[in-house]
Amino acid sequence: MVLALKELLYSKGRFIMIGFIIVLISWLVFILSGLGTGLSALSTGVVSQADITGIVFEEGSEYSLSKSNISSSLSEEVSKQEGVTDTAEISTFNTSVRKEGTANENEKITDVVLIGIEPNSFMQPDIVEGSTWNTSEQTQVIADASLQSEGYSIGDSIEFSGTDKAVTIVGFTENKTLYHQSALYAQTDDFRDIRFSEPELANGAEDSVSGIAIQGDEVNMAALSEPGSGIEYGTKEETIKAIPGYVAENATIMMMLWFLMIISAFILGVFFYVLTNQKTHQFGVLKAIGGSNGFIMRSVVSQVFVLSLISILLGIGLTYLTVLALPETMPFQLETNMVVIYSAVLLVISVLSSLFSVARISKIDPLTALGRIE
Amino acid sequence: MTGIQLTNVTKKYIENKFEITALENVSVRVEAGEFVAIVGPSGSGKSTFLSIAGALLKPTEGQVLINNQDITSLHEKQLSSVRLNQIGFILQTANLIPYLTAVDQLLIVKKMKGSVSKEDRAFALQLLKDLGLENKENKFPNECSGGERQRVAIARAFMNDPDIILADEPTSSLDTKRGHEVVQLMAEQVKLRGKSAIMVTHDERMLDYCDRVYRIEDGVLTEEVHTQLA
Ligand SMILES: Nc1ncnc2c1ncn2[C@@H]1O[C@H](COP(=O)(O)OP(=O)(O)O)[C@@H](O)[C@H]1O
Ligand SMILES: [Mg+2]
Repeated sequence: MVLALKELLYSKGRFIMIGFIIVLISWLVFILSGLGTGLSALSTGVVSQADITGIVFEEGSEYSLSKSNISSSLSEEVSKQEGVTDTAEISTFNTSVRKEGTANENEKITDVVLIGIEPNSFMQPDIVEGSTWNTSEQTQVIADASLQSEGYSIGDSIEFSGTDKAVTIVGFTENKTLYHQSALYAQTDDFRDIRFSEPELANGAEDSVSGIAIQGDEVNMAALSEPGSGIEYGTKEETIKAIPGYVAENATIMMMLWFLMIISAFILGVFFYVLTNQKTHQFGVLKAIGGSNGFIMRSVVSQVFVLSLISILLGIGLTYLTVLALPETMPFQLETNMVVIYSAVLLVISVLSSLFSVARISKIDPLTALGRIE
Repeated sequence: MTGIQLTNVTKKYIENKFEITALENVSVRVEAGEFVAIVGPSGSGKSTFLSIAGALLKPTEGQVLINNQDITSLHEKQLSSVRLNQIGFILQTANLIPYLTAVDQLLIVKKMKGSVSKEDRAFALQLLKDLGLENKENKFPNECSGGERQRVAIARAFMNDPDIILADEPTSSLDTKRGHEVVQLMAEQVKLRGKSAIMVTHDERMLDYCDRVYRIEDGVLTEEVHTQLA
């Protein structure tokens, strides 16, 4: 160990080069991972950030809220199912908004997902700015903070396309997006007013919602969701996977990440191998004066470990610096547990890649120390 | 007895289907406190002899006893432990580790055994001092002259307090004056610490420091009879 550190300090130049490569690789890995998480949050945030176990949908809706329509009166039955501790209705509606009174101007229109929920249910979003709805008053919404960069702020009055209904933004929440669009949370009654702006549109759907979200451990919905019952149940994971584009997006980023890891394993492996080869004579000397294979291997591996650890830590630092410089609108979300996991993976990869060279060490003949003899 | 004894050692190399006999039926015995030289021209088998004596190479035939233990049948791991604990090797060119200071060169052999104690450090500094390297403890090899490097290597060979000291042409990279200094210091340490030492050399001028001299030619070892009569 000490031998390893002394060499690191002595041959700084050479090790800074390898360290720099590890820093860059880990930086790229963290940026990709942050981008991946950011993108998936953008397409799934409303579901993935909610503390739910699953959602009850209309049969045949393929776990998609926008295709599903069920009666809110089902809640009662759902809450009686095995393992269910709480339920909350949720409705979604893809629409677009503009600031009130700008209909005839060239003011921007923004696509949003309007979400209808019951106040004080577990679906109610956490507020990061402003306040939550005042339940006694109508037409208040909580907006996702991404709308701030579209120019919306607290107190703004906004109207929806296709209706003259206007609502006021009272608070902001974060990371609540769906289908890459910002969410607006309204109370169910307001939601219906906006969704079914013409009464005939409602047409018997007065009490309908898109789905019923549930909480609980070891939930068993088999009894309720039998084929033909008109109901299907999707776990949180199934619901997220069913969100259009999510799987493809995620798989692309993951593939890039793992390719990067594999490539870096090879690059580092070659580097360490060359480095070990250059030191054949030196290791021969160490063996000739009595160093065991284990002693030398430990020293090489601990050197790689220390070098990688320092470089990965620098890579993490560099990543957080980069985050500061990223534009607000960029879907980037660095999760601490991801950083920890990928750091560990990178560390394991670089140590594993040095095992190549370690295998070579045991074959070095101490006789090389004598100069002659082959 | 402590010391080293080779009995009827023969070493044959196979190179391109030709058999080369590098050592032929060699027998030597060196007791504690004895400093023995082996002289011979290049290619006569000196390095081969030393490699076998130093547990680096196995003989084709014959027996090598180090402190009464036959090492010819040991495994690589045991051999490495023999080298670490019972043999101090001084190599042709100093062969120091480039990134260690003089004192660390010595302490590394302690580290190979486990850990370094305060006494070990004191002993290392004492050894360096004995070899006239008082102010060089913290110098890296590239900051030392050839003679200084060779003296660090000698100090390193003594560090684990081995019973056997083996030196392969320790003066070959030094000028006459430095060569004499180095061999003289080595002889002093051998006597002072009661080691069995074998020095291989082709440098006739260094023989005055030795108790006995062997000549080697084409792998055949013969003792020189007219040792110092005094
Ligand atoms: N590994 C080896 N393979 C084949 N021949 C060798 C090998 N090592 C040494 N020899 C041969 O053995 C003889 C003795 O070599 P060596 O012990 O190095 O002599 P010296 O050290 O006296 O110069 C030489 O003829 C040399 O070519
Ligand atoms: Mg030689």
